Amino acid sequence: MKTSPFRAVFNRPSTAMEKYLLAIIIGYIVIVALKNPLFFSVETLFDMLRSGSGVMILAIGVLIVLVSGGIDVSFTAIAVVSGYTSVKLMLALGIDNILFAFVVSIVVGCLLGAINALIIYRFNLPTLIVTLGTASAYHGLMATVLGTKSFPTAAMPQSLVNFGSTDLIVINSDTGRYGLTVFLPIVIAVLVLTWFILYRTMLGRQVFAVGSNEESASRLGINIFRTKLFVYAYSGALSGLMGIIYFSELKYVNPVSLVGTELMIIAAVVIGGAKLTGGEGTILGTILGIVVVQLFQSTLVFLGLGSSWNDLFFGAVLLISLGVMYYRQRIQDRKNLVFATA
Amino acid sequence: MGNPILIAENLSISFGGVTALDTINLSIGEGEILCLAGENGSGKSTFVKIVSGVYAPSAGSVAIDGSRVDSQGPRAAISAGVQVIYQDLSLFDHLSVAENIAMNRMMHDGSRLVKRSRMRAIAAEQLARVGVELPLDDRVSTLSVANKQLVAIARALSMDARILFMDEPTTALTTNEVKRLLKIVLELKSRGLSIVFISHKLDEVFAIADRIIIFRDGHKMGDFTAAELDEESLSFHMTGRTVSYARYHRQIDDETPLLQVQGLGRTGNYQDVSFDLRKGDILGLTGLLGAGRTELALSLFGLNTPDSGRILIGGQPVSIRSPLQAMEHGIALVPEDRKTQGLFGAQSIRNNVSSNVIDSLLGRSRLIDRKAEQSLAVATVHEMNVNNKNIDTLVQNLSGGNQQKVVIGKWIARHPTIFILDSPTVGIDIGSKQEIYDRIHTLAASGIGVIVISDEPEEIIANCNRVLVMHEGTVLDRFEEADLRAPEFKDRLATIISDPEAHVKHATAALTTINTGDQR
Repeated sequence: MKTSPFRAVFNRPSTAMEKYLLAIIIGYIVIVALKNPLFFSVETLFDMLRSGSGVMILAIGVLIVLVSGGIDVSFTAIAVVSGYTSVKLMLALGIDNILFAFVVSIVVGCLLGAINALIIYRFNLPTLIVTLGTASAYHGLMATVLGTKSFPTAAMPQSLVNFGSTDLIVINSDTGRYGLTVFLPIVIAVLVLTWFILYRTMLGRQVFAVGSNEESASRLGINIFRTKLFVYAYSGALSGLMGIIYFSELKYVNPVSLVGTELMIIAAVVIGGAKLTGGEGTILGTILGIVVVQLFQSTLVFLGLGSSWNDLFFGAVLLISLGVMYYRQRIQDRKNLVFATA
Repeated sequence: MGNPILIAENLSISFGGVTALDTINLSIGEGEILCLAGENGSGKSTFVKIVSGVYAPSAGSVAIDGSRVDSQGPRAAISAGVQVIYQDLSLFDHLSVAENIAMNRMMHDGSRLVKRSRMRAIAAEQLARVGVELPLDDRVSTLSVANKQLVAIARALSMDARILFMDEPTTALTTNEVKRLLKIVLELKSRGLSIVFISHKLDEVFAIADRIIIFRDGHKMGDFTAAELDEESLSFHMTGRTVSYARYHRQIDDETPLLQVQGLGRTGNYQDVSFDLRKGDILGLTGLLGAGRTELALSLFGLNTPDSGRILIGGQPVSIRSPLQAMEHGIALVPEDRKTQGLFGAQSIRNNVSSNVIDSLLGRSRLIDRKAEQSLAVATVHEMNVNNKNIDTLVQNLSGGNQQKVVIGKWIARHPTIFILDSPTVGIDIGSKQEIYDRIHTLAASGIGVIVISDEPEEIIANCNRVLVMHEGTVLDRFEEADLRAPEFKDRLATIISDPEAHVKHATAALTTINTGDQR
């Protein structure tokens, strides 16, 4: 039997959602490129990689939570709180070191995520409710203790500014100077690490098992608390990582931004094929979902459309792609006389 | 009985002041098949959960090979060799067959990393022990219930199990699948595995049991070798009363059909099905799962539009395209799967009963008349003899038998003229079964036309006055009341249901002899 190139690389057949998204992305790129040849350039690509890095990292955290059967809406708050805490600490201690920034932010994010897990497990509460609550609580705590003063480029730790300007490859063209961001290897490392954890470790498989059927998982002796602790702490750590990348990229530290974009990111992961009911979701799908979002966000200008079209496009893709998927499933079920999904 | 492997001594447990098990003493021998019998709520499942470490007993102990396993959590019980196949199978639908089977073993080995090759090797080895082949990479959600059962068995075996508990493993299986399962169970026994088998189906119990222990209301009522009991005495010990299924005889003198099905067909489901249903008929629709019985019932209820033939109600041809239309024609359907299709589990008995007749409960300002709703619900729980008379109880907290009584009760509230019951007593204990049968008989005697779908010969014999045997979508044979009264009919029907192919050959042979003019 001939194996498809996809199968050879990913060791599994592609999901229907991945195929849809790929078709949408290619179709859209062709349209934009025809309309405006300027779009088809290395600088556009580099630009999108830079602005998409932070969101991609957050999306991976969202994916792992969705796979475990939960929904986390506190990850943007965690990103801002951890990043801001780290910046404040650097300014207070006078340590202007990017590594220090990352370590502090990741540790804080990890802790906040662990608190989410603790509350969810202890009180057996719906994850959405808990993270809605903690998102406000974390952000509110930060605002009362650390304040919400923003720092412009000149006032923020210079190591962050420098890190955000670091490029791996620089291309000089007549329109200016463009670089491949240093965020890219970090994103790739996160993707590879997450793939390895989810697919090659027992812990990762247990995340899928818990998301698939929590009762069955506990009967098998899977430690539900440990699994959830990992899921939320890992998602928290990724948020912490993103917090620093976010401030570095903008070269501006504003602790009241980012919060409010979480539903958009969850929607992108869902477009990528992750199910809100748990047990399902792929890294490739998540990447494609984020690419769709980023593509709309950064290319509508090439079509001569205002940014308000972005929401319309994204919403349409979400509704149409999921609508088609579920409608096909429904037709299939009706044909097989399946009327209820247990 | 071989050397005892498991010994339970003075085991008691209570939940919120209610004693679920009271000083149970029992032992299970090596290579023995022990059947735990008892009605719903008798304490069988609670016993299993104590042995498997899910519940800690309030008093007493469970020891395996002399060392205590109670109160130490599931992993300790698993290490000691206890494996449980729960009724819901506890599989992971989103994971592959291989992973479902191998996960238990790999967790137990303490592996941190997952190797696909090792996972597949474990799975292939265990499936070979069960003696079946399944696609290792397919998702478990795509398998039939019978194959899921085999995956669960293979997973249990992967742990060098010493005692395998099987909680109602056959409820969702067809007759032939049950046979295959029982054969596998006997093979496992011959390799020294002890098996504790829990089932409501007494014929299965007698087919494999070495010993039968009976629970009633949390007490152990007896400990017998299988030879000491028969179905009647076992039923008596389980319920504390004599259970006998009265047979139904139609006594209505009206031959006009309520429902006529003429040459009805649906491509891929069933073809050329014809029958009449008169007032007071209980028509048995039998045959193996996949014979087209349920598909036909769904067509009558507007959920599976037929593409040939016609349906007449009261002599008028009708087109039934939705359940609402079916209900307007006076048809009611108790579906095969009561949990997902028959009930609103998270709603009260009150809301479930009124859900079908909400139109008739509206008061003057188009709001629901709560008093009328309440009296309807109260009347229904009494009429159906639901054990919990509190109408605000959530339906999901009732036992299977009582849930089914609510389903039937809510349809009776609509006063249907044609009542279809698909597998009405699957997973229901014998006490409730008898009550449900009585109820069906009363309904038919009052002039309703009833269709009962079942693959249990006993159920067909007790309830029906006409029988249609289906096989691969066609009507294989039909029997009238006179046939059903013949003394050996039950065995004959059982043979036809379990081996329809032989019956086809037999019938074809008979037809050939007629055609060749041989009058015998």
